[in-house]
Amino acid sequence: MLDALAAERLKLTRHKATWFLVWLYPVLFLVAYLIAIAVAAAHGGGPSKPPGAADWISQTAIIWKLPDQTIGRLLIGAYVAVAIAGEYGWNTWKLVIPHRSRTSLLLAKVALIVLLFLAAFLLTAGISLLFTWIEGAVRGRAVPTGVTASAILDAHGRAALAGLAPFLFTLASVGLAAILTRSTIAALVIGVVVAIVEKLFVQLGPYLSPYAPSLVWGLYHALPGYHLVNLASWVTEGAPHRTPFPDGSIVALDWTTSLAVAGAWTAALGAAAFAAFRRQDIN
Amino acid sequence: MSDPQAPALELVNLSKTYGRRGKGVRAVRDVSLSVAPGEVYGFLGPNGAGKSTTIRMTLGLIAPTGGEVRLFGEDLRRHPAVLKRVGSLVDGGAFYPFLSGRRNLEVVASTHGAPTDADRIDSLLDQVGLAKDAKRKVKGYSTGMRQRLGVAAALLHDPDIVILDEPVNGLDVAGIQEMRALIRGLAADHRKTVFLSSHLLHEVQQVCDRVAIISKGEVVREARIADLLRQEAGLRVEAAPLDIAEAALAARWSVERSGDALVVGATRDEAPEVARRLIGAGAQLFGLAAEQRNLEEVFLAITQPETDDA
Repeated sequence: MLDALAAERLKLTRHKATWFLVWLYPVLFLVAYLIAIAVAAAHGGGPSKPPGAADWISQTAIIWKLPDQTIGRLLIGAYVAVAIAGEYGWNTWKLVIPHRSRTSLLLAKVALIVLLFLAAFLLTAGISLLFTWIEGAVRGRAVPTGVTASAILDAHGRAALAGLAPFLFTLASVGLAAILTRSTIAALVIGVVVAIVEKLFVQLGPYLSPYAPSLVWGLYHALPGYHLVNLASWVTEGAPHRTPFPDGSIVALDWTTSLAVAGAWTAALGAAAFAAFRRQDIN
Repeated sequence: MSDPQAPALELVNLSKTYGRRGKGVRAVRDVSLSVAPGEVYGFLGPNGAGKSTTIRMTLGLIAPTGGEVRLFGEDLRRHPAVLKRVGSLVDGGAFYPFLSGRRNLEVVASTHGAPTDADRIDSLLDQVGLAKDAKRKVKGYSTGMRQRLGVAAALLHDPDIVILDEPVNGLDVAGIQEMRALIRGLAADHRKTVFLSSHLLHEVQQVCDRVAIISKGEVVREARIADLLRQEAGLRVEAAPLDIAEAALAARWSVERSGDALVVGATRDEAPEVARRLIGAGAQLFGLAAEQRNLEEVFLAITQPETDDA
């Protein structure tokens, strides 16, 4: 398995999509911080109100919230589409399939995608911490009281956990689309549609419910959209995400239900991707 | 454990139907053949005959709808790991275009599970004439260069059997000669088994010990090349009037005009019968000699029987 992972690393780290869609984040954050520090140094001093400890830490953990945002899911989905459907476009499954089981080939790909994003997000979080501190120093502000290693770890850990479910769901759904369509563009389009429709349904569900109350209510509970948002809410706020419906009812589920539903969707899509790939004819 | 006496490759009633059963297209029908260890075996057929589908089933890329693929006595479906003993080249060498030739070989080596042996890679790149271009990205390679890189990838892990789908496609004359020598060397010097498909029948005739000819998804002939050419030898008949001679012989054998003569699909043993028929029909016989066919003529005669019968 480590050999398969090494092979994936050899190919994917050299693809430009890895630069544009994975290493983009640390580079972008670094540039943004350098600009902010240059501006602070040029103008001297900073805003009159220095941030509190919670805001200071929250600012450094922004990157972990990316998978929970629609744009973040689109970018992650784009990379998953390139990494998996790319093999069909390059016609290279024929090169590697005779050498190793399909399950381990796909597993290695999934593992490398996860590891690459984890590395990029960790690096970005590190850059955020370092440069937030440097920016404060340039502005002549001390690190707020309450910013401790354990507080940082706790906040970053929670933010990372909140982003994990949408990240894995995106990986599974776009991965399945990539295998079924064998096309990077088609997988990306499906990923975009799923991400947008799912987010929209969380917002618009209550407004649609008067037209088909039981259907909307059922879909709201069965589809993964609300549960992904709810899990993030539990992790970051310690409370459920509350969605009031026009009939006065409120959807506010416990985290175990949402974990079960979101987990079931992710596992089902992931299993379908592996099953489809194992049975697929590579013509 | 694989049986050391087993054929290197055995296809048993191998079939592939695309689409729903009953309404589907049968791309490969009950193909059976056996390739002995150390043999160079040619797999011939016109476009769309089912060659590539058969090769892809042999490599686990396409799932058969019937029959078995056995490699060294092991059923591929039950023991897919036996593919570790196979080297392959399909589709003219499909590689990661954004990686160099060398890096592509490293990917194949890692995927296979063998540590990247730099000397082995260098040696193979040198052997296929790509040492100077090893660091260039594959997207800049010509078709022939990709083909040669494909051969290097197929040999990378020192396989026991090498399966090559159209290995000389895109190669120039010198490249074809080098490939011919390489393939013969694999069998003669390294005791490798080679299973190759090609539409360049002259090349197949020069490098293969045995061939199977596939047409419309079915193996229509399997034989040693020498036997095939002997079986398919014809008779060259010089007679006049040619129309009468042709009519007299066409009732029994396939007949083709070749200048002022006829080439009759009869065996040497049938020569007296040919002469009797001609004289019986009132034709004058000036010459009757065995005509040695080459593989291309045999191939056309076998795969286009309706043309010959016309």
